[in-house]
Amino acid sequence: MNLTQEQMNQGRRNFLRVLAGVPAVAALGAAASIRGPVPGGPVRIAFIGVGSRGRTLLTDVDPAYAQVRALCDINPASLEKADEVLKKNSVPPAKHYADWKEMLQKEEIEGVVMAPPLWAHADLASGCLEAGKHVLCEKMMAWDEAGCERMRDAAHRNGKVLELGYQRNYNPLYQSAYEGIIKTGAIGDVFHVRAAWHRNGSWRRKGDPPSPGFDASQWGYPTFDHLLNWRLYRKYSQGLMAELCSHQINAVNWFLGCTPEAVIASGGLYRFPEGREVDDHVYATFEYPGGRTLTFSSIESNAFDDYYEMYQGTKGTLILLHESDALLFDEEASKRSTAISVSPREGGAVAQSSETMAGNRNTAGTSAAAASSAQAGPRPIRIEIQRFCSAIRTGKPVACGPDKAIASARPCIRANEAIKQKSRLLI
Amino acid sequence: MRQEAPSVSLGQQVSLVTLRTLIGWHFFYEGYVKLLHPAWSRDGQPLPAWSSAGYLKAAAGPLAPVFHAIAETPWLGAFDVTVAVLLILIGTSLLLGLFTQSGCMGALAMLSIFYLSAIPLGAAEAHAEGAYLIVNKNLIEFASVTLLLVFRTGQIAGLDDWWIGSTTGTARTERSERRRASAAT
Repeated sequence: MNLTQEQMNQGRRNFLRVLAGVPAVAALGAAASIRGPVPGGPVRIAFIGVGSRGRTLLTDVDPAYAQVRALCDINPASLEKADEVLKKNSVPPAKHYADWKEMLQKEEIEGVVMAPPLWAHADLASGCLEAGKHVLCEKMMAWDEAGCERMRDAAHRNGKVLELGYQRNYNPLYQSAYEGIIKTGAIGDVFHVRAAWHRNGSWRRKGDPPSPGFDASQWGYPTFDHLLNWRLYRKYSQGLMAELCSHQINAVNWFLGCTPEAVIASGGLYRFPEGREVDDHVYATFEYPGGRTLTFSSIESNAFDDYYEMYQGTKGTLILLHESDALLFDEEASKRSTAISVSPREGGAVAQSSETMAGNRNTAGTSAAAASSAQAGPRPIRIEIQRFCSAIRTGKPVACGPDKAIASARPCIRANEAIKQKSRLLI
Repeated sequence: MRQEAPSVSLGQQVSLVTLRTLIGWHFFYEGYVKLLHPAWSRDGQPLPAWSSAGYLKAAAGPLAPVFHAIAETPWLGAFDVTVAVLLILIGTSLLLGLFTQSGCMGALAMLSIFYLSAIPLGAAEAHAEGAYLIVNKNLIEFASVTLLLVFRTGQIAGLDDWWIGSTTGTARTERSERRRASAAT
């Protein structure tokens, strides 16, 4: 799908031109303003799981919205690194805990932001919700459907906010694309969406135990590697489908306004079979109502196609590229020009802060690129945490609550089952 | 010896009590919102804690040195709370018509301070919502409260009527009759 620089620039200009014709969304209603402010200062929160993803979230806590009171992680090294994040953000240090239950008992917190390994989501999130805490849980929602349902029930039963960390919902680029392109029908009827997340690497992380005597087995991990590389082990992870595909399904569900009904999938552990259980190549076709289809591929042997979602409509094509760039192509215009050609990938380092975050891409600093880039404003994760806090204080709904999150998790879980069974499964 | 409310028509009574209620609400809400902070706007934006520091530091006019000194004191926080509580008490007094004369006196005192801290002399201000020369909203509200004070509106409608009756033993019906008679004249 890689386009020439000229085509990229043209696509950005097209996107901006269409958006320019969309009137701004009306400001808040007058009824809200006359009711006056809602009491309460910054929300008192704690973090559970401050590994790489947890620290990405921690970095984006806005002190005007939330006060981090405590950090919980079973790995002391992660806690130390989290301290550095707080220090860098010039906010007061937070107390450390290894036991989340002890933390909930001792700390007067209102909400919990959590990014533990997937298998622990359901227990931790449900436990926090039952303890009367609001929860922002990193995606995917839970390892299995029962876990997802348990989390949703706990949130409803306790009347607490449960948000799942699909940051595309808060990405101004996605919001603009949805409001200005999808909702207005600018690209016509979309029958095919192509999503890809291609990388060239083993996904394996390297690291030493925090101390020679560190025993991860008391937490359910036979070795330190099982904790460090939990994404690679089936017991803790749903692999590429959960960590990557669920992000894109979440966005596609939003844009298409419906959820998939069936899935056909294949994949396997082809390149990195050593010390790993989850597939390193997965391919899936998700069938949506109305004859619409999402095809997804994630491979770990070639990064040429990068990651993107491409909406192919009867009048045009919308491409949302690595969460930070948007391109729009008119179907009629593309007929006149030559077919999209493949160009060499641009040089320059790709520095990803986490596997599901936009990296520091070399997007050739044209004015169109800068204008259509989501990186100009606040980062989506920052907005996500702000909205979580606002929901706690004002009751304003979050963009991705349990219902939408289950609708994103279920297809991924079923896709992994379809790979195993080598069959088409209803969702 | 207790003073009687001046003789006024029914329309005048309704107008005066309405004016008192509106001014009371203004004071009450000003204080309530200040005590509520730090707070959140309804659309989810955090609102910082209220402080009089900026207002005091910007003060001009005859009391400016006093205001500037208060802004620098370590007990500014307590001062902020006191201001908010006083606004609420005055507002409640005017809303309920209870201890109305004292409430009016308190309102006049606070409005005097607000007016003297920034007397409008016609200079254009970047963030001002209007153009004022000598007369601004504080001064108009001051004049309005003076009106409430001299007409003893707490005895027209309000808990003062009940309070005075309970302390002096004057029958409520007797006082009502007296007012009806004056309204008819």
